[in-house]
Amino acid sequence: MKVGRIAGYAVLTVYAVISVYPFLWMVSGAIKTREEVLAGGHLIPRLPTWDTLVTTWNQLHFVEYFRNSLVVTGLTVLGVLVVYSLASYAFAVLEFPGRRALFWFFVSLLFVPGITMLLPVVILEKNLGILGSHLGLVLPFVNGTAPLTVLLLTGAYRSIPKELREAARADGAREARIFWSVYLPLSRPAHITIAVLTAVPTWNEYVLTRVSINDPSLYTLPLGLETLISSQVPRYNEVMAASLIIVLPVIALFLFLQRYFVNGLLGAIKG
Amino acid sequence: MTTQHVAGRVRPPGRWRAALTGYAFVFPAVALFAVMGVYTIGSGLALSFAKWNGFTPDWIWVGFENYLDLIYADPSLAPPLRAASWNTVQVMVLVPLLTVAISLPLAVVLNSVRRLRAVLRSVYFLPYVTSGIAVYYAWRYILEPDGAINLLLRSLGLGTLAQPQGFLGNPSTALPTLIVVLVWSSVPIATLLYLTGLQAIDPALFEAARIDGAAPRQVLRRITWPLLTPLTAGVVLLGVRDSLHGFQIFLIMTGGGPGGHTDVLGLQAYRLAFFKGLAATLGVSSALGWLLFAGALLLTLVNARLLRRVR
Repeated sequence: MKVGRIAGYAVLTVYAVISVYPFLWMVSGAIKTREEVLAGGHLIPRLPTWDTLVTTWNQLHFVEYFRNSLVVTGLTVLGVLVVYSLASYAFAVLEFPGRRALFWFFVSLLFVPGITMLLPVVILEKNLGILGSHLGLVLPFVNGTAPLTVLLLTGAYRSIPKELREAARADGAREARIFWSVYLPLSRPAHITIAVLTAVPTWNEYVLTRVSINDPSLYTLPLGLETLISSQVPRYNEVMAASLIIVLPVIALFLFLQRYFVNGLLGAIKG
Repeated sequence: MTTQHVAGRVRPPGRWRAALTGYAFVFPAVALFAVMGVYTIGSGLALSFAKWNGFTPDWIWVGFENYLDLIYADPSLAPPLRAASWNTVQVMVLVPLLTVAISLPLAVVLNSVRRLRAVLRSVYFLPYVTSGIAVYYAWRYILEPDGAINLLLRSLGLGTLAQPQGFLGNPSTALPTLIVVLVWSSVPIATLLYLTGLQAIDPALFEAARIDGAAPRQVLRRITWPLLTPLTAGVVLLGVRDSLHGFQIFLIMTGGGPGGHTDVLGLQAYRLAFFKGLAATLGVSSALGWLLFAGALLLTLVNARLLRRVR
């Protein structure tokens, strides 16, 4: 029994190290000088310095990139929550012809590869005149989350007892009111789960952003980071500093929300 | 107003009214899909039967030529496509398999310990939260010829395993390395799903098995694994889908190199669509996208059948 427990902790520790390993080197690279990062060597820097972080931040308009990333991610999360909480509510509790068909239609979009849609989206946006704007990113991002979001939120709303809705209706509440005052507050963990599952890939999105944004003043963080590595010999201390700037906010967000996130995921599985 | 209110209370609102409410709730989602989905799917499908370079005013209709070119007819397209298909298949099979093989035992062990469980759960989740261009660059950094992985191997006395050209520079290690990175980034969600699934299992089941004298291995095989099958199905399905759809990591870490050894189908479609200048390759790219879609659909149906039989 005791041997088993020690072995268990050994396994857990090894995988914990594997999980954080690239991240440790990211931090280490970010606080190394240019000479030391070129020389390779140890994880713990001999001459740790904040200069790389500061210069990378200033030199690369990171304030601008950061703001752009916040705008795109924020609008996408907001759009996803508004659009698909409404739709999922309809799928979960309302009665109307075509409900099941529409629900399965949205879920089956999960199997349309992003690359199949990428080129037509770019052509469409060129014709609409929104290619290269932040709106041109947010609209397809929101649309792209439809399958998983509808699946999870419909499950979450279904798990809320029908009696609550009936009681509210008996009190004369209309659908909009029941949705707003009963279903939304009771589904907060599910909404937070959706927010995290949407925010992380949006914050890191590179493919559509790369082919649609040309104006450097609209660059998001991943595009800013890319400009650093396109030079022949990448200065890895700067690349790692910029990478750290990108991942820290997401880590903070996750740590802050993780309790709800886990509960929301649990609810989604049960539902 | 009041009478209407009372009337609404006594009998349920008319059917048409309920339907209207339902449609009002789904309207934003349907409208967005009408703009971003219907048109794009339609025009994408149409484009796959045409030749176009993105600039000329007219498409040239060619029927199924794009599809045939991709499958066998065009010597500049078909052989690289076959190589990329093989790479994609390897990724598609190995990533979900290894993900399950690592995350299920990890979740079982994590579920059995009390101390540090919450901390470890957060630590294991780090690769998901950070996944994306930033952490792929961090991997590139440690996989360099003078990078941390080679250094680690040499210091452990495993210098023969070190790669002097870097793990991504050597054609025979590049793809396996990317598979490892992909598994590394998909283990977190799978582990978390398994962990929540394990906590949902009634502890009385384990207790009963223990009283009956079942060995831990038997418990795992006869109780835990069957009860978690739906979750495994989900993990495998999402893994297969991601492998078939996703190419961001390949684009960022190797660009398909060295010498096409890490080229995958999504990446080829991407290059045909955006990096061929004035050549009329947009139709071929669309056709490749639809072939991928057909593949995804087929695999999903096969998977669903297999899983139903297992259950």
